[in-house]
Amino acid sequence: MLRARGVAVARAGVEVVRDVDLALAAGEVVVLIGPNGAGKSTLLAALAGLLPATRGTVERRGRVAAALQAPALAQRTARANVEAALAWWGVARRERRDRALAALHAMGARALADRPARALSGGEARRVHLARALALEADALLLDEPFAGLDAPTRAELLYDAASALRDARRATLVVVHDRAEAWALADRVLVMLDGRVAADGPPAAVFRTPPTPEVAAFVGFAGRLEEPGTVRLLRPQDVALDPDAPLRARVTRLVPVEDGVRVELTLAHGRLVTLAPAPGPAAGAEVGIRLLGGVSFPR
Amino acid sequence: MNFVWDGIQQAADLLVHGDHDIFVVVGTTLRVALWSTLFALALGLPLGLLLGLGRFRGRRAGLAVANAGMGLPPVVVGLVAALLLFRGAPLGGLDLLYTLNGVILAQTLLALPLVAALTAAAVQSLPAGLLEQARAFGASRAQVAALALREARVGVLAATIAAMGSAFAEVGAVVLVGGNINGETQTLASAVLVRVSAGEYGRAIALGTILLGIILVLAAVLTVAQQHERRALLGRPS
Repeated sequence: MLRARGVAVARAGVEVVRDVDLALAAGEVVVLIGPNGAGKSTLLAALAGLLPATRGTVERRGRVAAALQAPALAQRTARANVEAALAWWGVARRERRDRALAALHAMGARALADRPARALSGGEARRVHLARALALEADALLLDEPFAGLDAPTRAELLYDAASALRDARRATLVVVHDRAEAWALADRVLVMLDGRVAADGPPAAVFRTPPTPEVAAFVGFAGRLEEPGTVRLLRPQDVALDPDAPLRARVTRLVPVEDGVRVELTLAHGRLVTLAPAPGPAAGAEVGIRLLGGVSFPR
Repeated sequence: MNFVWDGIQQAADLLVHGDHDIFVVVGTTLRVALWSTLFALALGLPLGLLLGLGRFRGRRAGLAVANAGMGLPPVVVGLVAALLLFRGAPLGGLDLLYTLNGVILAQTLLALPLVAALTAAAVQSLPAGLLEQARAFGASRAQVAALALREARVGVLAATIAAMGSAFAEVGAVVLVGGNINGETQTLASAVLVRVSAGEYGRAIALGTILLGIILVLAAVLTVAQQHERRALLGRPS
């Protein structure tokens, strides 16, 4: 549905996206993830045709719609906003009402239909924003951080609703997020964008469990790093377990309380690791035994 | 100060007893205000959208000119318009000097920068991303422009009020371009000038009172419409 070849995009004369190759197929939900400033939104704008590519080409088969990051609803009712988007899209007047209501229903926002945009909460506005994007029935749909700025329960609720609403065998969907939980919930395929380039492309399990480069690994949560002969081994917190009897010893440098216990930061002779332990965890400064359960290695 | 009260009473008498001259000058004033405001809106709204939202070289200079235009001295505009409309001048062939159409043209020139500059400011203050999102959903330029005007309607109504107020209150361009001809190009404001020059303070106050009354009624109607829109935008019951 949409293919980018060697695309570069500049903002204010600075190239912030470089050498991007990607393809979106019908029925596929692709998640684009990366840190702030990686160029995700810029790439999305270029794919949507809102920004010109300074190099490379973007081929679009069918019509592409993009829902930008800010909901930016007009000062009308929720339903009027969806109907306005349908009018811009070229949908006949007689079809707009039914399509608008169906899309609002799909996003769990049917009860908001007659509410003025100004009276919507952040989560409700995002539901309406997503509904008007879905109502268009575009061949390719690009969503820029559809869950940004929401509190955790609202975000989770919207995420699960969106995960089912975005499944459509006829449509290719690209969603920009910067949270791995969102990527897990939505993605058939994950693209990791770092410093303006696509640094990883694959199914979520592959990208998040066996990242292709140290940079991608560091971004997707491999916070531990051990220097080994000829290689560097990167580990997630779940790849490290505290075990008093283990021969590998480490010193606790910092403890941070988290929802399910305590995040334990450790230093060893050849690196530093992070693990999770039940509260209260070991004392800061204590020597503990550790077992390594996984991780990915890269040549040094 | 009795003559002030006398003037107000005279205004009431003139209206109640249907003074023909008064109705003619009121009609002329309304026609000038209506047509010049409509022409200024027809030209100024697209110009304001272009200056407010366009991306082209010289946009800022255009905005500066429009902003400066809001403070144009009417006498200077009238003088320039009159010089251009003199027989033998570049626009002399239009035969607009000392005509009502010439007055409407001069008033339109005065109101145009008001509409353009205020519209540009109104659309520039729209929430970030609103128009970009419309484009991302396939809106054409005309649809984006319509959305911008609709969302900035409180500011656009302010521009309309300003244009209309200018048309009612202005004297310099009317006198210079229209010649202030009684029964033809004389408006209420320019008629006041004539009466004061002739020492007819009572009649001048009468005319001024009628002018103020018309301005107050029309401004009130537009302000009510504007504030109704504002309440609607804020999502409060009207």
